[in-house]
Amino acid sequence: MRRRLLFIVMGLGMLAACESYDCTLYNHVGMYAAFDHEGNAVQIRDTLTITAGKSGPVLLNKSVGTASLDLPLSFWQDEDTLVLSVKGEDYFLQDTVWVSKTNEVHYESPDCPTTLFHTIREVRNTHQFIKSITVIRSSVNYENTTNLQFHLLTDN
Amino acid sequence: MKILPTFSFICLLTISPCFPAHAQEETKQKEKAPLLSGVAVSADLVGFAMKACNAKYANMEVGARINILDKYFPAAELGIGDCKREGAETGNIFSTTSPYMRFGLDYNFNKKHNGNRLFGIFRYGFSSFKYDIRNDEFDDPTYHQTISLDLSGQKATAHWLEFGIGLETKLWSFIRLGWSIRYKFRAALSHPEEGKPYYIPGFGKNDSNGWGGTVNLVFDVGKTKRKQKTEKQDQ
Repeated sequence: MRRRLLFIVMGLGMLAACESYDCTLYNHVGMYAAFDHEGNAVQIRDTLTITAGKSGPVLLNKSVGTASLDLPLSFWQDEDTLVLSVKGEDYFLQDTVWVSKTNEVHYESPDCPTTLFHTIREVRNTHQFIKSITVIRSSVNYENTTNLQFHLLTDN
Repeated sequence: MKILPTFSFICLLTISPCFPAHAQEETKQKEKAPLLSGVAVSADLVGFAMKACNAKYANMEVGARINILDKYFPAAELGIGDCKREGAETGNIFSTTSPYMRFGLDYNFNKKHNGNRLFGIFRYGFSSFKYDIRNDEFDDPTYHQTISLDLSGQKATAHWLEFGIGLETKLWSFIRLGWSIRYKFRAALSHPEEGKPYYIPGFGKNDSNGWGGTVNLVFDVGKTKRKQKTEKQDQ
């Protein structure tokens, strides 16, 4: 009887389990953009600031020599408004970009941060210094590849 | 994976007392069990204990099996998988309470018909279940918009296979107690894009494979007279 109880107790002891968290290591979701002028990659040499709307959070603050962008999209809005302001020594330009998108919840586990993936539907702008915008890849997720190509009016 | 060597060592310690008895039995004349040697029902005590201890998940199950020649045991197990898990830092809550079932076979390695079993296990498991994902204060870190995330009623289906070993001994009359340890392979899982389930009822934490175990209280409810006669002869 003692032997029987011993193996039952051993059996119970073996059921104790370890747990590990398997969250995605690179879990940044950003909308990536690059600049060009007539097909040639360019950078905005003067100070570039991007805000979400006129009074929203600052997404990029006084960046100099900007060749590409990594911008967070809102979790719940159907359309984000991005105000791009370029300030030089003797000029100030402002272009507004509207990004229409879908929002898809991406849940991994209770222990991993939940985030949202997006699909860009449409992009339009006010053409002040950005001539046009091409959607290169509409899916905004963990992949670090260019989503939008900003075609500038000048090469700065 | 550090559990594996420890598990093997404990298995050897636990099983080894059985082998001298087997060696002695080989010299005896081989006993013959009837074709239908009985029917048994069982309950897994681990699942109920885990539920009572408020563990993050519990598989509460009952089972039934048929004894054929005291060697082959076709078995069916039905259960309810229960899980409620909240991420400590994320506020994400996963919850489900859904049924599952397993079918398979036990093969008894003990040639002596004394009511004790050392058996190999094969099971096919299946669960079609619903689960809820919630986060009452889901915050957009850039735009600072907090909403209540509610993905209730997500549907998923899982299939898996289990292989394992077990030991079972007669406690008193028709009551037996035993344990089993099983290695599980997830064969298929379909779930919505929004989020995979944290837990699969009957399988455990959602992964490609995993370990599980049972401690079974077994009742021999349909023991045949021929078998009882055989057992009396053993004694």
